[in-house]
Amino acid sequence: MKWEKKDRTLLGLASMLIGFLFIVLLKSNVVYGSKGVWQETSIPILIQINKENQQLSLENKKLKLEVEKYMQVQSTSDLYNQQLKEAKMNAGLISVTGPGLRITLDDSKRVVGEKEDPMSFIIHEEYIRDILNALWNGGAEAIAVNGQRIMANTEVFCSGSYIQINVTRQMPPYVIEVTGDVRDLSSSLEFYRWFQLGYLQQQNGITRNIEVLSKVVIPAGKLPEYHYAEPVKGDI
Amino acid sequence: MRRTLVLPVTLVAMALGFLISVQFQTQKGVSAAEQINEDRMSQMKSVLSNSQEKNISLHKEHSVLMKQLDVARKTVGVSPKLLAELNKFEILCGKQAVSGSGIHITIDDRESPFPLFSDDIATMINVLKFARAEAISLNGQRIVGSTAIVLSGSSNIVVNQVPINVTSETPYEINAIGNQDTLYDYFSKLIGVTLKESGMTVSIVKKTVSIPSYKGEYTFKNTVPLVP
Repeated sequence: MKWEKKDRTLLGLASMLIGFLFIVLLKSNVVYGSKGVWQETSIPILIQINKENQQLSLENKKLKLEVEKYMQVQSTSDLYNQQLKEAKMNAGLISVTGPGLRITLDDSKRVVGEKEDPMSFIIHEEYIRDILNALWNGGAEAIAVNGQRIMANTEVFCSGSYIQINVTRQMPPYVIEVTGDVRDLSSSLEFYRWFQLGYLQQQNGITRNIEVLSKVVIPAGKLPEYHYAEPVKGDI
Repeated sequence: MRRTLVLPVTLVAMALGFLISVQFQTQKGVSAAEQINEDRMSQMKSVLSNSQEKNISLHKEHSVLMKQLDVARKTVGVSPKLLAELNKFEILCGKQAVSGSGIHITIDDRESPFPLFSDDIATMINVLKFARAEAISLNGQRIVGSTAIVLSGSSNIVVNQVPINVTSETPYEINAIGNQDTLYDYFSKLIGVTLKESGMTVSIVKKTVSIPSYKGEYTFKNTVPLVP
């Protein structure tokens, strides 16, 4: 087909126009996309900061009250003792009591079959740690395992045939005692590890026992020695 | 020849005109949407920067208050010996910020096919405790007795009820105070090797580290001292 010059320029112009429009359309889409990503990342950051702010303002309120108390107070020893008691209570250095749970975990007494894995007949450190984590998450107020108070520096570490807790050797059965809201604590145990232990109980005969008690006694822990950590004025 | 072209050219011209008008229309729509988005973004930005400013001022306030408390305790006349005693208990319960020799660990799992889970992090913290760390922090959150490390959703790790892995450049930073050689050996042998094998970037440095105080609360609603 033969095209006249005029037609060709017309066609050329038209295709240029279409190309231009196409690019404009593409560009607007790209711009839109990149903004979406920004929003996605900024929301969790916002949540995190707000959560931290909440905690900080609570803490600051408490500190203000404390400073005020010092300003007004006559008898310093009373206030000091009160603070000492509070810090000890928070740290787990005071024996406590309250309603709670007693969880007993024990190795299986059954003979391991030929095709069975002997590792699934014993209680491992992870089981205990996972349960402790779930209990703290469920609002536990104080916990002890075999009479060892769980504190900030407490390890639950498998060293072969025993589990080391607070630098003591612990052997099965492992008795976890916890105080707190009994209903919250019970529902916090509804997680995979607890169900897995239930399965191992059925299949291999390990012990996973739970008692709801109106009174549990949790013994006090021992203050560790500090050789390296020095208190810092203010905060970081 | 010219006459046969009239019809198609007219049709093409009509189609073009139609397309142009559609394009303008959508362009209008897009710019309206863009406008909304822009507004939303700027709102978001201002909300975020407000929160960030508030966060900074709260941190400052906290620092000032801690200093005031320290001064108040001294002026009221608590003996330094008793204060030192109180400090130890407050280090254990996490209320007291601390610094000292220790190790600084950074772990980047973004390149690894197996990102870290809350359980892995709990295992690391446990190893540091086993190495007799005196104080530990994870992405700025002090580890205390009642600290729970849990997964929220599919990838958010929550420590002391605060999500920790959304902002920082390096996903995980752990500080621990204690015997540097013990901390370094235990962590690198028991944890570091496995992490590196699974494709993560791990650095463990012996240095003086600072660990912030615990900002959460201890609540005892059901629990009382055995001896009142």
